[in-house]
Formats: sequence, structure tokens, C-alpha cells
Amino acid sequence: MTTPTLDLTPSVPAGPPRDGGAARRWGPGLGGTAWLVWRQHRAAYWTLIGLTLLGVVAMVWLRGQMMDQLNALDASGRTSDGLPPDFEKYADRLFTFGGFLGYVPVLLGVFLGAPLIAGDLESGTVKLVTSQSVSRLRWLTTKLAMTAGLIALCTGVLGAVFNWWWSPLRGRADTLEWTSSVFFDGTGPLPVAYALLTFSVGVAVGMVLRRTLVSMVVTLGVVGAMSVVWDRFRLDLGNVMTATTHDGAGGGLPALPDQAVQQGQGASFLTSSGEKLDWMTCLAQQEHTKAHTACLESKHVVGRAIDYLPVSQMHTMQWLGAGIMLAVTAAVVVFVMTWGRGRLL
Amino acid sequence: MNHSATHFPAGAGYAHPLGRPAIEAHGLGKKYRRGWALRDVSFRLPAGRVCGLVGPNGAGKSTLMSLATHMIRPTTGGLRVFGQAPGSDEAVRRTAFLSQEKPLFRRFTVAETLRLGRELNPRWDQGVAEGIVSAGQVPLTARIGTLSGGQRTRVAFALAFGKRPDLLILDEPMSDLDPLVRRELTQTLTAEAAQHGTTVLVSSHMLAELQYICDYLLVVANGGLRLAGEVDELRAAHALLAAPDAGPSPHLAPHRVIESRGALGARGDEGRPGVLVRLGGPLEYGERAAPPTLEELLLGYLRSPDVPALIAPSAQPGDIHDILTRDQPETVTA
Repeated sequence: MTTPTLDLTPSVPAGPPRDGGAARRWGPGLGGTAWLVWRQHRAAYWTLIGLTLLGVVAMVWLRGQMMDQLNALDASGRTSDGLPPDFEKYADRLFTFGGFLGYVPVLLGVFLGAPLIAGDLESGTVKLVTSQSVSRLRWLTTKLAMTAGLIALCTGVLGAVFNWWWSPLRGRADTLEWTSSVFFDGTGPLPVAYALLTFSVGVAVGMVLRRTLVSMVVTLGVVGAMSVVWDRFRLDLGNVMTATTHDGAGGGLPALPDQAVQQGQGASFLTSSGEKLDWMTCLAQQEHTKAHTACLESKHVVGRAIDYLPVSQMHTMQWLGAGIMLAVTAAVVVFVMTWGRGRLL
Repeated sequence: MNHSATHFPAGAGYAHPLGRPAIEAHGLGKKYRRGWALRDVSFRLPAGRVCGLVGPNGAGKSTLMSLATHMIRPTTGGLRVFGQAPGSDEAVRRTAFLSQEKPLFRRFTVAETLRLGRELNPRWDQGVAEGIVSAGQVPLTARIGTLSGGQRTRVAFALAFGKRPDLLILDEPMSDLDPLVRRELTQTLTAEAAQHGTTVLVSSHMLAELQYICDYLLVVANGGLRLAGEVDELRAAHALLAAPDAGPSPHLAPHRVIESRGALGARGDEGRPGVLVRLGGPLEYGERAAPPTLEELLLGYLRSPDVPALIAPSAQPGDIHDILTRDQPETVTA
């Protein structure tokens, strides 16, 4: 047993910090509730920071490789009509890595959000903290704000670096559509908003259920359900445009603007009244060209039409989606605060 | 202890001692889903007392303490800590609470636990806290999770005392300690309380031990208050009369029998045989009448739930309007 040197002079109010000779760990110089929150969750915080840095380093390295290849291809003039097939693996890496990044918000909700309050409720340390002189609302606010701030920072950095990696390929690889959840959810304001939403949902679930493990499982379920809903509706945030031709049903398909992504099922037929008939129109007569043409003519088809989302809408849609997510987050936070004030114990 | 017993006339016009009570409760009630944990409890605990809170398991002790520390909200009635609502800044700052489980962050070191106290309490006294920890040879660099139960309790004590509270609420603080540590911490408790005039509310099952710590008493059973008042005051209001072998004795007449025990040995009592009575009139202690010990008194009341409660004048809460008017000027000037 060690015998620590002790200052036994009584009543030195709030003396200088003494850590009993313990090696001082590196960390931000915080005081009050911020110190407590950092100390309690420092392992989780450092893990988050470390993984973020790791992700950034990996992305910078992978982008470097991709750029070397891309520059070499450009110099040799092989990119005049699209990227060659041997470049595909670089695009695949981008897509795969982006897919992994898509799980980050879910992991943050499950591993940071759910245990944040549930852990204190389960171990009873919430009683320890609330019997000190700070109000539980202040403690709760610090806890939420610090963690949310760190999450916003980390997901923001990851999203920005990922966007930087993707941008040289924008419009150059057919397989990398901007409407894909990898790019739509992984860049701009969305990763931050989505992570904050899953985090707040995790906190709320943990606060209500008061058990760490159960909260993590339930959070996973809730966040998974939210992802399904989001995937179903996120493209509805856009304003679908239509490109048309007027050179008859047999004419070519309308050209789409650069990076535009086709919506709906294939090209439809445009009638003289401006109505769109889907691609199955007159499909039964497909076998006989004459009958087919007659069928189409009877319906006054004058051309073809394709629905699409132009890339110019990407930012608007992302900010609209982020706004919705942040509004829900705010509502969840208000619930957490109200619940925490009233019946934390 | 003087040798003349006292009794309280009904509806006495006793004036309350000067000074604001540490705790004052009015019609306090708390209902959980399974029923009332505490019902219509009214009392006051004058400041500067060391008060024992006694009662069987599930009697409402922890509920009362949680209400006083704002951990839970009352269903009916209310309570004030130094005249303030339990959740108010002042009440929170002046109250320290050590719950039964004594939760601490297991991964914190002892030094970090004390730092928690320093960071979160404006009146923190590092010297007192470190003194309590070092008296038990608890190394400051040790992690809480590696400490023994007794050492952990000591750290929790240090955290509570370091806060420099005016009201210290301890829920079964000594239950997991060996007798030596228990005695040592009891001494620390009484010495600190005496030195700083701290009001202490401590719940315990160790009736004999309370006798040495407490000068005030609250007894709860079945969610209601059974006894409240100064220990001396309460003891002087009762007497243990020598039991006649057969039939009711005429000298019991003015008094109320709390418990008749010992003579038949039915309960295997370890205490003195006799009849515990609440005095209904003056009585001279002598050969056939002696003041009960605190333990005899407590056991008597805990075993006889039908006896009406006795709230000594010093423990009777003031009129609710008195409290409101008394609190008013201070709030305005504050």
C-alpha cells in the first residue's frame, strides 16, 4: 500500500488541484461539470477522436492512390470517353468506404447515445452527481452538449474528407450516382445531422429504459427503422424534372443534363396533351411493328420523356433533409431535458 | 437527565425555538404504484441536531430522505430545507446526501473522486475530505473499483463531508462496515457535526448505536410518523414501570400503556421486564418507575403500531401560514 503525502491542514477552500501524485493524463483543461463529463467518458471520446483520425488518414491515403491513377490516365489520354474498366477498383474503394461511413451514425447512437444516461442510471452514479451542488439540468446539458459537439465535429470532418475524396470522380464514373445513399447521406450537412439524431434518440431511449444493454439493443432497432424510412423518402425531398423529345415514339431518348439521375421506371411516352404514359404502353403489340405504331398513334404519342433529378438539387435536398433531422433531434432533446428534470431518479 | 419525568399537555402553546428548522414537513406523502410509501407526515427538525431516523424496512425512511434531497417529488404536501424548496440552489448547496448504495464512479481514482467534489461544490473543503480518506489509509491513487466496501464508504463519507453541508443526510451509512471502522466513522461524524453545527439526519437499524450519536429522533412505521422529538424529551415522556404479576395495576391509570413486556418472557426480550407507558401525569422515578433507554423506547413503539403517534412540541411543524410569512421577508431581501 502506498502512503500518499497528504495535506492535513483543515479548511483550505478549493485549493489548487492535487491529484495525489497520479500521473496527469493529457486532456483538455476543463473545470466543473465539463471536467466530470470528460473524465467519465474520456475513453469513449478518445476512441471517437482516434477512429476519426484513422478514418481521415485512410481516406487521404486512398484518395492519393486514386489521384495518382487518375492523373496517369488523364496524361495518357485514356479518359476521353469515360474511365477505363481497370479504374473501377478505385471507384469501388470509394463506394465501399462510404458504405462503412454510413454506419457511423448508427454506431454513435448505440455506443455513445444509449449508455450516456442509462449507464449513470444503472450504476446509481446519477445520485452521486445530483447530490452535489450543481443542478441536474446543468449536468445533463453539459453531458449532451459536449458529446454532441464532439460527434458533430468528428462526423463533419469525416463527411468533408469523404466529399473531397469523391469530388474528382463526380460525373466521371457512371456507377457513382449522387443519389446513392453513400454520397447523398455521406457528404454535406447530412452525416452531422443524422449522427446527432441517432445520438439523441439513443440518449432518450437510455433515459427511459434505464438499462445500458437493453437501451443499446432498442436504439439499434429504432435507428434501423429510421434508416428504412429515410431511405424510402429521402429522394422525395427533390423536385423531379422531366426531359422530353418530340420526334415520335420511335425517336431517340431525351438527353439528361450532366450527373442527372433518372427516376421512375425507364423512359415513358409523351402524348400530344403532355401526358406521360409508362413504358408498358402498347407492350402487347410489341411483336408487330405496325400494330405497335398504330397503338401508339391511337394514344397520340409524340415523343419520349424521362424523369430525373438534376445534381443541382443535391445541396437543397441535403439541407432540407438535415433540417428535418435536426428538428426531430431538437424535439428529442427537449423530451430528454423535460424527462431528466422531472424524473431522472 | 433530570430525575423528574415530564408530560406534554394536549394543545400546548409552546413557542418554537428561534432559528429556522433544518427540515420542516407538512402533510408529506409519497405514493408509488404499489401504494403509499409515506403518508401525511408532518414534523420539524431543528437545526444543529443529530437526528436518528428509525423504522422497519420499507417504513418510508429512504423515501423521506429522497424527498428531502429532491431525488423524488412528493405526491401530497411538501417539505422545506432551511426554509427553501428541496430542489432550490440554496437547499442543494447546503445539503449533502449519502445514499444507501453509496454510488461512486468505479473507474475514478480516489483523488479524482475528491476532485469531483471540488469541481461541483463551491464550498468544498479539500482538507477535510483528504483527512477522512487518509485516516483510513486509503491511497489517493487507487481506483474506486479496487477498494474494499469499507474504504469505498470512507471515500463516500469524505465526499459528503467535503461539501461542508449544513444538513447531512445519511441513509444506512454504516451497514457494510466492520465494528472498528464503524466506530471511527461515527466519531468522525459526531466530531464534524459538533464542530460545524451540522444538522445530521441518519437512518440506521443499529438502535443501540444511535443512542451514542443522536440527540433527536424520528421514528417511522408503515409510512407514518410514530415518534418525533428530542431523545431526552421523548425518554422523559415515558417510563418503564415494574410490572405487577397479575391484573392491571392502579398506578398505570393516568398513563397510556405502550407495551407490556418481559414478565411472561413471551418475546424472549433481552431488555428489562416491565410496562412501557407514556406518561399521562407527573410521576416520580423510583424503584418501580424508571426512564426507558432509547432502545426500549424504540422497540416498544415499533412493536406496537396501534399506539397513537407522539410528536414532541419541538418537532411539531409551525402553522403553514407561519412558514409562508416567515419565509417571505427573506426571499424579498435575498
